[in-house]
Amino acid sequence: MKVVIDRASCVGHARCQAVAPDLYELDDLGYIDSDGFDVPAGMEDEALKGAKACPERIIRTIGHPSGKDWPLSKG
Amino acid sequence: MSDVAEMARPDHVAAEKVVDFDFYNDLSVDDPHELIANLAKENPVFWTPRNGGHWVLAGHPEIFEAVRNTEVFSSHRMSIPPTPYEQQQIPINIDPPMHAIYREPLSRAFSPKAMMALQDDIRNLAIELIEKVRPNGRSDFALDVAEPLPVTIFMRLMGLPLDQLGLYRQWVNQLLISSDPVRKTEAAQQVNEAMSAIVRDRMEKRENDLISVLLDTSIDGREVTFEEMQGFCLLLFIAGLDTVMNGMCYGVRHLAQHPELQAQLRADPSRITDMMEETLRRYTFTMPPRVINKDHEAFGVRFRKDDMVLLMLPGADLDGREFADPKNFSLDRENKVHIAFNSGPHRCVGSHLARIEMRIVYEEVLKRLPEFRLDPERPPVLHGANVIGFDSLPIVW
Repeated sequence: MKVVIDRASCVGHARCQAVAPDLYELDDLGYIDSDGFDVPAGMEDEALKGAKACPERIIRTIGHPSGKDWPLSKG
Repeated sequence: MSDVAEMARPDHVAAEKVVDFDFYNDLSVDDPHELIANLAKENPVFWTPRNGGHWVLAGHPEIFEAVRNTEVFSSHRMSIPPTPYEQQQIPINIDPPMHAIYREPLSRAFSPKAMMALQDDIRNLAIELIEKVRPNGRSDFALDVAEPLPVTIFMRLMGLPLDQLGLYRQWVNQLLISSDPVRKTEAAQQVNEAMSAIVRDRMEKRENDLISVLLDTSIDGREVTFEEMQGFCLLLFIAGLDTVMNGMCYGVRHLAQHPELQAQLRADPSRITDMMEETLRRYTFTMPPRVINKDHEAFGVRFRKDDMVLLMLPGADLDGREFADPKNFSLDRENKVHIAFNSGPHRCVGSHLARIEMRIVYEEVLKRLPEFRLDPERPPVLHGANVIGFDSLPIVW
C-alpha cells in the first residue's frame, strides 16, 4: 500500500499527524514533511485514517487491502 | 419577500436566490446553529440585501471550492458591511502568492511544537481559574474562564500589557459585534494606536514576545515595515481575543446540556479530543468574508466583481451532503473532518494553540467540577456577527 501526498497544497491542519502520528511526520512549521511513502505492513488502517483526516483532501491511498482507497472514486 | 429585498436586488442576482438574512441580528438567538442548519439546507448559495448586500455560501462543496479559488474569491477586502477605510490585516487580507510570505513567521510562531511548549502555563492558568469558582457552585463560564484563559495566554505571547485586558476586550467587541461601520472603524483605530505604541517600544527595546519576533522577521528578504507591523498586530489582536473563548463555551454549553456525556468523559478522558472535534464541527462559529475579484459563474449563480461573499462555515459543517445526520452530536461519528478552522491557504494559523487550550480546559473542567448543568434561571446569551459568540454562559453544580 502506498500513500501519495500533494505536499504543495498542505496548509498545516496537522490532522494527519494527530490521528496517525507514527506515519505522518510534520516539519518544524507544522506542514507535512513528505510527498508520500510505502505503508509498512500492519499499518494500512492507520495510513487510511490519516488520509481521511485531511480537510484539504490532499492525501491519497493506493492499494488498501479492503480495496477501498481514499478519496473514494466517483461512479 | 419583503420590499427591502425586492428594491435592493442587483440585476445579476436572480430573484429566487434572495433571502432576507442579517448575519448580525438574525443569529442573536438561543440556537443560531439550528437556524443556520435549516437555512443552509434550503439555500446553500443565496444573496441577501442586508449589510450592503452580499452573497452567502452555506454549503460544504461550495465553500471548499471557493476557499481555494483565491483568484476569484479574494481576501483583500473582508468588511461586511463595507467600511469607508478598511485597515489591512496581515496576512488575512493578503492573497496568494504574497500571502505565504507574510504567513510564514506566524506559522513558525504558532507551530504545533511552539504551542506544545505552552501546555504547562495553559494548564496552570486553567486550574487557577476553575478552582477559583469551584467553591461557589456557580459560574458565568464565559466571563470566569473562557474569556480570561485564552486572552491572557495570548496577551502574554504577544507582549501586551495584561492590565489592559478589559479595555482590549471592549474594543474587540465593538469591532466585531457592531454592524455599524463607523463604530467598527473607530475601534480599529483605537486598536491600531495602542498596538503602534507597543511596536514603537519594542523597536527601541526587544522583549521576549511575538511583536519583537515579528520586528526581526524579514519579508521577502527585506525588513518588515511599520505599516506591516500594524497589519500583523491588528489581525493578531482580533483573532486572538474573540475566538477560542467562544469555542470553549460551545463545548461547555453542550456538556452542561448532556450530563451523560460528562459521565462518559469523566470515566474515559481519552475521548475528550473526539468530543472537542465534534464540538468544533457541530458548533462551527466563524464566518469569514471574501470579495469577488472578477466576474464569475459558479454554483448556479453569477458573481460580479466587487460583490461581497460571506463564507458560512457552520453551514458547511452541518451540510447533509457531507455529514450523515449532521445535527446529531456523536463522538463515534465516522467522518469528523470539519472546517471550523477554515480550509485553503487562510486556514486558521492559531488552530494548534486553540486545540491545546480547549482540550486542557475540558480536561480540567471535567476533572475538577462535579456534574454541572445550565443555570435554569439564566440561559446562555449568544450574539451573531462574523464570530457567533457568547455574551454569557451561566452554569451551576
